[in-house]
Amino acid sequence: MKTKKLKITSAREFGVLVVLILITIAMSVATPVFLSKTNLVNVVRQCVEIGIMSIGMTFLIINGDMDLSIGSSFAVCAMIGGSLFKYELCSPTAAFFAVLLIGALLGAVNGVLVSRVGIPSFIVTLGTMKIYRSISYAISGGTSVSVFPPSATNSWVWKLGAKIDGFPAQIFIMLALFILAHIVLKKTTYGYKLYATGGNPKAAGLSGINTRNVKLAAFVIQGVCCAIASLISLAYLNSVTTTSGEGREMDAIAAVVLGGAALSGGRGTIIGSFIGVIIMGIVKNGMVLMSVPVFWQDGFIGLVVILAVFVDTMIHSKEKR
Amino acid sequence: MAPIIEFRNITKRFAGTIALNKVSFGIEEGEIHCLCGENGAGKSTLINLCGGVFTPTEGEILVSGSPVHINSIQKSEKLGFAIVHQEVPLCLNMSIAHNIFMGSAESKKGIFLDERHMNEKTGELMAMFHMNVEPTELLERLSIAEQSIVQIARAVYFKPKFLILDEPTAALTNDQRSVMFDVVRRLVRENHTTVLYVSHRLEEVMELGDRFTVLKDGCFVATKNVRDVTMDDIVTMMVGRKIDKSEWGKTYKTDEILLSVKGLTRRRKFQDVSFELRRGEILGLSGFVGAGRTEVLSSIFGADRLDAGEVRIKGVKVDIRSPQQAIGHGISMIPENRRDDGLITTMSIRQNAQLTLMKQISRFGFISGKSTDGLMQHQIEQYHIKAANTDDGILTLSGGNQQKIVIAKWIGNKPEILLCDEPTRGIDVGAKAEVYSILRSIAAQGIGVVMVSSELPELLALCDRIIVMHEGKVTGEVDRENATEELIMKYAAAI
Repeated sequence: MKTKKLKITSAREFGVLVVLILITIAMSVATPVFLSKTNLVNVVRQCVEIGIMSIGMTFLIINGDMDLSIGSSFAVCAMIGGSLFKYELCSPTAAFFAVLLIGALLGAVNGVLVSRVGIPSFIVTLGTMKIYRSISYAISGGTSVSVFPPSATNSWVWKLGAKIDGFPAQIFIMLALFILAHIVLKKTTYGYKLYATGGNPKAAGLSGINTRNVKLAAFVIQGVCCAIASLISLAYLNSVTTTSGEGREMDAIAAVVLGGAALSGGRGTIIGSFIGVIIMGIVKNGMVLMSVPVFWQDGFIGLVVILAVFVDTMIHSKEKR
Repeated sequence: MAPIIEFRNITKRFAGTIALNKVSFGIEEGEIHCLCGENGAGKSTLINLCGGVFTPTEGEILVSGSPVHINSIQKSEKLGFAIVHQEVPLCLNMSIAHNIFMGSAESKKGIFLDERHMNEKTGELMAMFHMNVEPTELLERLSIAEQSIVQIARAVYFKPKFLILDEPTAALTNDQRSVMFDVVRRLVRENHTTVLYVSHRLEEVMELGDRFTVLKDGCFVATKNVRDVTMDDIVTMMVGRKIDKSEWGKTYKTDEILLSVKGLTRRRKFQDVSFELRRGEILGLSGFVGAGRTEVLSSIFGADRLDAGEVRIKGVKVDIRSPQQAIGHGISMIPENRRDDGLITTMSIRQNAQLTLMKQISRFGFISGKSTDGLMQHQIEQYHIKAANTDDGILTLSGGNQQKIVIAKWIGNKPEILLCDEPTRGIDVGAKAEVYSILRSIAAQGIGVVMVSSELPELLALCDRIIVMHEGKVTGEVDRENATEELIMKYAAAI
């Protein structure tokens, strides 16, 4: 029984895994630099922001929702955090938790509008994407926040952007969060309820699951993910601009869908999303290494998304017949 | 006479299981040929082979004497097959007329839709089925029964050479059913349409069929003339055993009142419904589809709002506003529509079976693999669930086994009151008998059961008392001793 279980999970992510391996092979043949340790570490590091945000997005998409406001939430968190650190408004630890709380709050606003008021998540988060972005402009007055005092840069919070034994700490944080999320989805009752709510909200509700709270929690998780990503980015870049995070929502959705999740809900895995994120990172990196003209880079990523989902669809339609 | 459709040594294998095993039989032109068998006997697979959904692993299908390779739905239509499936594949957001003419050349004049023609023809068609609805009515506003009539009407309108009906009457009332039978007979008479009819209701096989074929566990059992056999003969062929009726009529009813409802009202659905349920009692709720039976159950369960009335559990007044609260009060509900309300089709057998039982399989929010394995084993044994691998998708199971999963999920959390809505809808004779014995054993444990059913024989066999509804009102109540089909029908029709 155990071995069969393993087979099914691997089948789910099989398609993306094949794509990942093919792309890795292609890249290493095309540019020998690709396989160097420095480059590989760099690839993964560049995945961190999207990676962490795609964790929350995986929860939402399994649940049949999505969040277009994550780029803006990211900016609000980073702006507020940046201001707290820069003007030394509170201790770094307090600022750290304040940012997490803000992220949770931004997610909760989306979650309440979706789960209690009943507006579709696409509409709600399209709206809050604009609103949160405006808030981030208003906080900074349209300028960027940078140059932090030593009280911030010497604090433990800034270690988030530092290196441990030559490896960026943020990579470990991302991996830890992915593992945590995987456990939550596969081993806890919350994960169980999430898949049930996404698969058939009506049946889940009749089975005594409080589907509204399940949905709300997923949005809060997404908000906290944005907050963590923003803190890492703040510590790493030592600056935040009003436009930071723009377009991240589409990257995160693309990564999750690449990983085999269905926008109709009920399907998706953390492992799949992780592979999706890494594929996107490798493709971006490879294009830079191969000096693909900038204009074509986004287009190429779009192509990879469609191709990967195509492969996945082919495998699954074959299974059915 | 050579058969017009012939199955020759058809075998269909799916990963690990054999759905059909060397099945051979023929269907003659212009006959109504019934296909009988328990769930999982291979009836649906056979239909899907005709429909081009699957292709046979071995063997061949002959139409008019020549072998055909049906590898797509288009190919199947081209050969003249029209299939009415069990689950209604219609567009709920569109009108009746648009559903009927979907994809047909008749729907347009040039590049524009020919609304007048569509509405006119749909009107005639609906009249033929005694349906009093506007052709422009949206499908979602029709009841499940009416939706399935639209689906049948759609198949009939295009006068197919071969008409395949898969459990078409599951949701229909007796009147709707006899109208449909007339239409089918006329189609056969006037167009020499050949009909393959699949139904669990053997009385329909006896009434409508010319010949029938029995499948069992994917194998061919026999093809016979309907007039040469009795219903019991068919049952014996299907299940290979006689159904034990000795348990029928046993009662576990006590005096303790578990649930009492008074003056329940939900606007436009039902008014002033009152009854009491005792420990160990099986209370039937009868009436035609649309009489408000389902709505009463879902309102007690908190899935729908009540406008007035009070619910008492063991004498204490309760205010139930959600299924969670109902479950907290020890109420479980097996919903009517298995696929839409009972199951989560994206999840595995095991996940579906344990959805309401999270407390039993988890500690501090973490699911224990050992507990779920143990519980699954227990569920499989207790409810005789036949599943190759419980981590497979729920839809890999036959209808009867799916229903057992739904029941297992709801009884597992040890309710005191079980509400069940059409618990044997669309499952076969053998599985039905198993569901009956499960319900009886539940009552024996002191659980009170309220059961909605459209099948009178099953109400008569199981229930201590039957309440009959008509257009949202209770019109009668009969005890087991006095219950007859005639009496219940009289109340149901409010005569």
